[in-house]
Amino acid sequence: MTVWLHIVALGLLASLGGALWRVWRGPSQADRMMAAQLVGTGGVGVLIVLAALQDWGLLVVALALALLAALAAVGFIKAQTPDGAGDPEETAPPSGWQNRRATGQADKRA
Amino acid sequence: MMADVATYVLTALGLVFFVAGTVGLLRFPDTFSRLHALTKADNLGLGFIALGVAFQADTWAQLAMLALIWALALLAAGTVAQLVARAALAQVQVDE
Amino acid sequence: MKAVIHRALLFAAVWLVLTGADPAGFAAGLAVSAAAVWLSLHLLPARHPFKLWRMALHFPRFVIGSVRGGVDVALRAFSPGLRLNPGWIEVPSDLPDGARAALGGELSLMPGTLVAGSAEGKLIVHLLDTDAGFDAAIPREEAEIAALIGRARAGAP
Repeated sequence: MTVWLHIVALGLLASLGGALWRVWRGPSQADRMMAAQLVGTGGVGVLIVLAALQDWGLLVVALALALLAALAAVGFIKAQTPDGAGDPEETAPPSGWQNRRATGQADKRA
Repeated sequence: MMADVATYVLTALGLVFFVAGTVGLLRFPDTFSRLHALTKADNLGLGFIALGVAFQADTWAQLAMLALIWALALLAAGTVAQLVARAALAQVQVDE
Repeated sequence: MKAVIHRALLFAAVWLVLTGADPAGFAAGLAVSAAAVWLSLHLLPARHPFKLWRMALHFPRFVIGSVRGGVDVALRAFSPGLRLNPGWIEVPSDLPDGARAALGGELSLMPGTLVAGSAEGKLIVHLLDTDAGFDAAIPREEAEIAALIGRARAGAP
């Protein structure tokens, strides 16, 4: 069991490594943010596994990380809105967005 | 013994979903599709990991803590997905 | 009043989990729970009736839906051809703001749908595959959320 849980923890870390590529390359800020969210969720998973392996007190650390990851996303949204109030609905989406085929070019703004 | 089998199976499933989330994040062609992969696969992965580890817990307090972490992650995922999607939508450049 | 009891029970339960139900923390927990209830009523006033038993009934369906959502997206991620056909739809919704956010969060965990907020009373929904009929689930989930806050809906299950 100990060996298996270590393998799971390593597997989770490897998948976090993949997410870091997305943080690095983007292309959009939203892409980087959601990859950071994946690192947050994965970190919580690693901590839960380590809690079973080492010390159940790590569950508190996992909870704190889950909270921090959610707040990090809220911070990102606040930085994105024009007046910093964090309400992404205060500006209407650009007209014509419905007809736009999602092609991943969302970020090449001038 | 049965508890150990449950842990093996559930944590393996959790790992598969985490890997699927990362693969989706790397392979899917656009920002919004990647957000689908992240939100859905990762939370399921975390749920399975927490459930699998729960079979190794010794006390009710540990089980309750695992449930609390999972509930918080689920709530945060649904909310954050909407917020990030909307923020990304505001940046969309419309090609004529 | 019912909302106060619901929230007090919720925060007290979270406190018990965080402290491992240590009796030494009960007094502090009482004060913290009361403060949390006051703050939550301040930030999110209870404007609509909330049916807890409806929520309990709804929970298993939500779990099943989110498992199906995860399996669906995992299969697509691993499939060599990437069967994706992403696109947008708008869905009119007359739910109040909070319930609409709850519906959006829930739909974002269901198979193939992702909500990007709303504009002019319409939910903006991204579909992972516009041919797979994922949007069929939207009216069903909306009826369930409407029932949670005590609104009957034509076509509700």
